[in-house]
Amino acid sequence: MLDSLLALGGLVLLRDSVEWEGRSLLKALVKKSALCGEQVHILGCEVSEEEFREGFDSDINNRLVYHDFFRDPLNWSKTGEALPGGPLGALRAMCNRTDLGPVTIALDSLSWLLLHLPCTTLCQTLHTVSHQDSCPPGDGSPVGKVHVLGLLHEELHGPGPMGALSSLAQTEVTLGGIMGQASARILCRRPRQRPTDQTQWFSILPDFSLDLQEGPSIESQPHSDPHIPPVDPTAHLTFNLHLSKKEREARDNLTLPFQFSSEKQEALLRPRPSQATSHIFYEPDAYDDLDQEDPDDDLDI
Amino acid sequence: MAAVATCGGDAGSAGSAVATGSKSNVTSFQRRGPRASGTNDSGPRLVSITGTRPSVRNGQLLVSTGLPALDQLLGGGLAVGTVLLIEEDKYNIYSSLLFKYFLAEGIVNGHTLLVASANEDPANILQELPAPLLDDNCKKEFDEDVYNHKTPESNIKMKIAWRYQLLPKMEQIGPVSSSRFGHYYDASKRIPQELIEASKWHGFFLPEKISSTLKVEPCSLTHGYIKLLQFIQNIIYEEGFDGSNPQKKQKNILRIGIQNLGSPLWGDDICCTENGDSSHSLTKFLYVLRGLLRTSLSVCIITMPTHLIQNKAVIAHITNLSDIVVGLESFIGSERETNPLYKDYHGLIHIRQIPRLNNLVCDESDVKDLGFKLKRKLFTIERLHLPPDLSDTVSRSSKQDLAESAKRLGPGCGMMAGGKKHLDF
Repeated sequence: MLDSLLALGGLVLLRDSVEWEGRSLLKALVKKSALCGEQVHILGCEVSEEEFREGFDSDINNRLVYHDFFRDPLNWSKTGEALPGGPLGALRAMCNRTDLGPVTIALDSLSWLLLHLPCTTLCQTLHTVSHQDSCPPGDGSPVGKVHVLGLLHEELHGPGPMGALSSLAQTEVTLGGIMGQASARILCRRPRQRPTDQTQWFSILPDFSLDLQEGPSIESQPHSDPHIPPVDPTAHLTFNLHLSKKEREARDNLTLPFQFSSEKQEALLRPRPSQATSHIFYEPDAYDDLDQEDPDDDLDI
Repeated sequence: MAAVATCGGDAGSAGSAVATGSKSNVTSFQRRGPRASGTNDSGPRLVSITGTRPSVRNGQLLVSTGLPALDQLLGGGLAVGTVLLIEEDKYNIYSSLLFKYFLAEGIVNGHTLLVASANEDPANILQELPAPLLDDNCKKEFDEDVYNHKTPESNIKMKIAWRYQLLPKMEQIGPVSSSRFGHYYDASKRIPQELIEASKWHGFFLPEKISSTLKVEPCSLTHGYIKLLQFIQNIIYEEGFDGSNPQKKQKNILRIGIQNLGSPLWGDDICCTENGDSSHSLTKFLYVLRGLLRTSLSVCIITMPTHLIQNKAVIAHITNLSDIVVGLESFIGSERETNPLYKDYHGLIHIRQIPRLNNLVCDESDVKDLGFKLKRKLFTIERLHLPPDLSDTVSRSSKQDLAESAKRLGPGCGMMAGGKKHLDF
């Protein structure tokens, strides 16, 4: 699943944390796109260009178009090299691109942009950039897919911006892991379908290629003691919880008191036969009061 | 509501949807007879707009939301001139479906549509509307669907939970013809292209309307909202939904749909921070929008990602400023998905507010516990649980036994248990 991350297009958020860093995954995905022949743009804001390019071999390095905002983010040296408008200007320039092949834009990092730019502007720009392929130009020629990979350090931001970016992203990869083995939890939101959630164990090799793995070995996980069998609570009771087949049939044949079946209706409507079983034999006692409203028994009715 | 022409809010003119002439009258009561001053609508007095009907309770003009089950819960339908706010579910699957049902209902009834969105082109939204079930040959498939749903096990369960059998069905089963009030839609098929082309719609796509290089002057309303309000106002005025162009031949309803209002794509940072610069922007927008709607023949549906809003007090303000608020909570991704209690349903639906329009009381249903599910073709809303039956008419045990026990218990506490018939002193 991790290797087909880029198949969908749109914004891919790589959420990392202090324990599980995401820049190596970002570089691995960048290398993959470059090897596929896509155009790759990198907005470097957090680390220097040399550090980012380290580990890539020269043909990949030649394919990367690096926009450096680390050395001089506010363009104080005024050399004219940096793009006008800072990182936002660079992103907007990518919105109006003229060549139509597939392109990958890696944002290193999205956290930096979120801290330096207003969240709404960033969201709007990211949305425009990542949805360029859905608005084809006037001549109707197909536009290649745009992938925007954003590295987001989730500990730096509150729930507000994180929620806003998550709702914008097509794919969200959260890095985690157990005992040295890294995992990526991939949440994929397709437009009209249920989101899919998968976990993939992986590791990054020194030359930044992805190695997908199965998962941590079983022996290292502590298991419950297999010698104790699970306890059956229905055993050793003083009453019987099980029904035999005959008993079950008898139970099913019972009519419940609130069910108005036809037999019950007939029984109620039929005139009652002489009650052989429900007679009351009563001999009035000497002191018994036959007429309770006449205490002296002198009314002649 | 003001005495100026409103949309069926006048009690005196119940049934007649138009009150355009009342601007010149002193009172808002109108004679039902033929007018002395011949105005242009010399047709029948009771002008009925397709797809609307007066409410049986207070004569308010109602339109269908596109889901007959939801119409029933809201007291018959959505009143013209009101706002229906849908609080989105987490992944915006079912709320966008309700949005589309609303728009599709507008197309089927011939209403004018206004679709506003910041993340999707309105033309694309209209292409993805569900197809209406209009023909009678769909009725067979409908019945099959219902039949397959009833499995033999459910009959066994009903022996004990017999009260559920006596429940009236929440929705009417069966497709209806196009002249009736609510329609059913097939969520798996797209609306035929001819219907879209025959309908009249206006789209507002935010990235096209504002250019990114525009220097935005700080003001109380976000720029995107101002543009949207101006757009709505223009459409209402030009097309005469507020009665301003009396030459219009046929009254019609304007259905406004606004998608994902409040998300950062509209330029509003209410989802990003707790106390942002534009924290009152959304509430002001709703206030002005409601003013526009009350003075025109229009209905609005808004979907809002309230689960992202950071300041909870704002959600309370927004609820007060809207008329009907329906919250959707889907089970996807939450622990309730595996809960056996909810296994038949896809989510819960919460009716958070129902308006009191020209009334002292609102038409609340007694059932608050509702779940929804999306079957192949139908979006159904059902009661999750029945409340305990505490009415007097239920015979828990015979009244004689109750009277006996009442006598034994003594007059103090026994009087209540006996009921009125058995009070004897």
